[in-house]
Amino acid sequence: MSKTAILYSFNTQKTSRAAKMIIENYGKDLEEVNVEEITADKFLSFDNYIMGVPTWWDGELPNYWDEFIPDLEELKLKGKTFALYGAGDQKGYPENFVDAIGILGSVLENGGGKLVGFTKNEGYEFESSKALRGDDFCGLPLDFENQARAVKGKIKSWVEQVKKEFK
Amino acid sequence: MSENKKHHIKKTDKETLKKWFHLMTLGRAIDNKAPNYLKQAIGWSYHAPFAGHDGIQLAIGQVFDKETDHLFPYYRDMLTAMSAGLTATEAILNGISKATDVAGGGRHMSNHFAKPEFNIHNVSSATGNHTLHAVGVGRGMKKYKHKGISISSQGESSVSEGYVYEAINGASTEQLPVLFVFQDNGYGISVPKKDQTANRKVADNFSGLKNLKIFHCNGKDVFDSMNTMIEAKQWIIDNQKPAIVQANCVRMHSHSNSDRHELYRDENERNYSQEYDPLAKYRRLLIRYKRFTEEELLEIEAEVKAEVKVAHKKGLAAPDPDPESIFDFVVPEPYVSEKYPEGLHNGEGEHKKLIEGLNETLKAEFRHNPDTFIWGQDMANKDKGGIFNVSKGMQQEFGIERVFNAPIAEDYIMGTANGMSRFNKDIRIVIEGAEFADYFWPAMEQYVDSSHDYWRSNGQFTPNVTIRLASGGYIGGGLYHSQNIEGAMASIPGVRIVYPSYADDAAGLLRTSMRSKGMTLFLEPKALYNDPLAAAPVPDDFEVPFGKARVRRKGKDLTIITYGNTTHMCVSVAEKLQTDNDLDVEVIDLRSLIPLDKETILASVKKTGKVLMVHEDKVFGGFGGEVSSIITEEAFEWLDAPVKRVGSTFTPVGFNRILEKAILPNADKIYAAAVDLAEY
Repeated sequence: MSKTAILYSFNTQKTSRAAKMIIENYGKDLEEVNVEEITADKFLSFDNYIMGVPTWWDGELPNYWDEFIPDLEELKLKGKTFALYGAGDQKGYPENFVDAIGILGSVLENGGGKLVGFTKNEGYEFESSKALRGDDFCGLPLDFENQARAVKGKIKSWVEQVKKEFK
Repeated sequence: MSENKKHHIKKTDKETLKKWFHLMTLGRAIDNKAPNYLKQAIGWSYHAPFAGHDGIQLAIGQVFDKETDHLFPYYRDMLTAMSAGLTATEAILNGISKATDVAGGGRHMSNHFAKPEFNIHNVSSATGNHTLHAVGVGRGMKKYKHKGISISSQGESSVSEGYVYEAINGASTEQLPVLFVFQDNGYGISVPKKDQTANRKVADNFSGLKNLKIFHCNGKDVFDSMNTMIEAKQWIIDNQKPAIVQANCVRMHSHSNSDRHELYRDENERNYSQEYDPLAKYRRLLIRYKRFTEEELLEIEAEVKAEVKVAHKKGLAAPDPDPESIFDFVVPEPYVSEKYPEGLHNGEGEHKKLIEGLNETLKAEFRHNPDTFIWGQDMANKDKGGIFNVSKGMQQEFGIERVFNAPIAEDYIMGTANGMSRFNKDIRIVIEGAEFADYFWPAMEQYVDSSHDYWRSNGQFTPNVTIRLASGGYIGGGLYHSQNIEGAMASIPGVRIVYPSYADDAAGLLRTSMRSKGMTLFLEPKALYNDPLAAAPVPDDFEVPFGKARVRRKGKDLTIITYGNTTHMCVSVAEKLQTDNDLDVEVIDLRSLIPLDKETILASVKKTGKVLMVHEDKVFGGFGGEVSSIITEEAFEWLDAPVKRVGSTFTPVGFNRILEKAILPNADKIYAAAVDLAEY
């Protein structure tokens, strides 16, 4: 039976709040992992991953993800499936809207992982994003600053989609 | 993020990682300690902490090679300077302004780190001012086929300054090996990026410039910063074109000790910026990836603590600057003329026009010294040689490498002249600073800053530049083709100012300027370029020393002191006064305003007892006011009348000839004033 985890920083506010909503909607075994304490071995112990990846500053990964990259980029991720969500501010940072989803997504793809949970690039106003794959985001952008009311609904439908896409 | 992975937490050798940790910890320790010096009233009254910029500052210093490169750090660049070679003691000596401060002996502001010996330049505090200097060095590198790069480091808000755009545009046009590093911490003091420019990443504003590559990196991350800087430097060397590195940083503290960021950054943001601490991140990586043990890092931190203690003691024990030294290094010693020590000659023969005297001297000096260059607007396009053709034929004879056009950007002309001087002290540069002196004002920020260089660096650097400007009126040119600017310029120490009236003096002063160290503002009375009145025999090797006036007519009843266009009027008035009034008038042509020939002036005053000061510039605020004050202070007892002045009215110069005549001085006004004075 495949193991599924949700990885995010427990020291966050919006990302943690979104994680709780995801867990509630997911409704079955979903192990919570604090990414600030992640190790390569622990990371490899799952098959399906939901990962909370907010974008910091002008398009950067948070430190806790960034500092794991040197390990992550060496891992063999073939056969593993990843669904990414992340907070971003489309008005404050329109040039780098949810870039972190795209940056981390590329590392996972380079390691052989498969990204799922793509969402339509509709209903957002931004200029560019590293999270775009064609017209779609390679994950779920959540804009707590400008579209707070939409967050709950987006998470609900995204979790349904991800559940189907996970093996 | 750089794709170049030369450096990586898992791959970089341990010695290198250790060196970086040591430097970063040392820099941070001094950065944290700096405010204590102010609290204890020891010094460091200006401190702009670098914390949050650690990754990119380490990287700038590490890729800099003092043997081949030039570095222009800004006021937040302590770690940059230390990573490039400044010692902990030297950082503290600058911070507390000691005589042994290698940047400038305590003359420059604290937190302005430099080490000219290593090509780490002493630069202005005016943000981004040095960008033009870096481009000038880049031009020097290209002209002399030097393999190296010039690095301009600055905050992202400096890019709001127009001259920074001029600099980057120029580096792109001239294809120069210059690396511009924008350390982006999101604020210009308290002004956020959104109030500076529409792009959050200001480097992207330059994406339309040709020949320029733009890199982005995380300036808080040591490895991304190192890899990006290495890649950018290599790209510049391979392509001989400029590049920008925009490094995302964070300002962990206030802008400086005079700023309080809690007035405009909320607690959440301030905490967020602390979380970003690049040094803490690097330390975590070293432990996480087992490159160092906690004990090893603690040992390095203890070493740093001891090192700072030693540096602190050395700093406190260092001597303070001597107040007697304030007049050292204001202006460098000029070239000394052995053949013409008074700037006089008995040359006979063909009378040459003033413009010919200038043109022939320029050419002669270019033949004499291969390290001479001239540029300006309209300087070199086919048969055009400067707006008035003063440099006619020079490009044909000396080639486009030495005689070339500049964009219509006066500050760029001036600033890159300063910069190119920094590449090699033997270089002598002549610029046509603007089409007319009237248009030189945009270059004032570079002019003023260049005037500081020799003093501020404690004699370590001087721009060797002759700034030629066509000045003055009497051509019906109006407000923008008739101004005299010497009155304003003479209030700025650090630059010599000359204003000849005759072809021979113009030639002699130009030769001396071009052979001297330092800056000379060379004002040319454009109305006299082709005027037979200004023509004179010009010995081929004529030289006029600075600070030597020329008595154009000897007399005993009244002294007229003048220069430039009005010299000829004064000579003719003197002749008329002799004929009409039997007055024997002495006419002194100052030739050189700074330095001023007080000796000749005072000797004449003592002889005649009456002084009429005449110049074309405005009476109010004009240079004559200074001469008048000197006479009043130093020769009062010889005066038989108040010093009288004739010059322009305190108005702009009108375009209509009727207005021009009403505003500018002329022979009639001078005559009337002289008669008044004689009758006093």
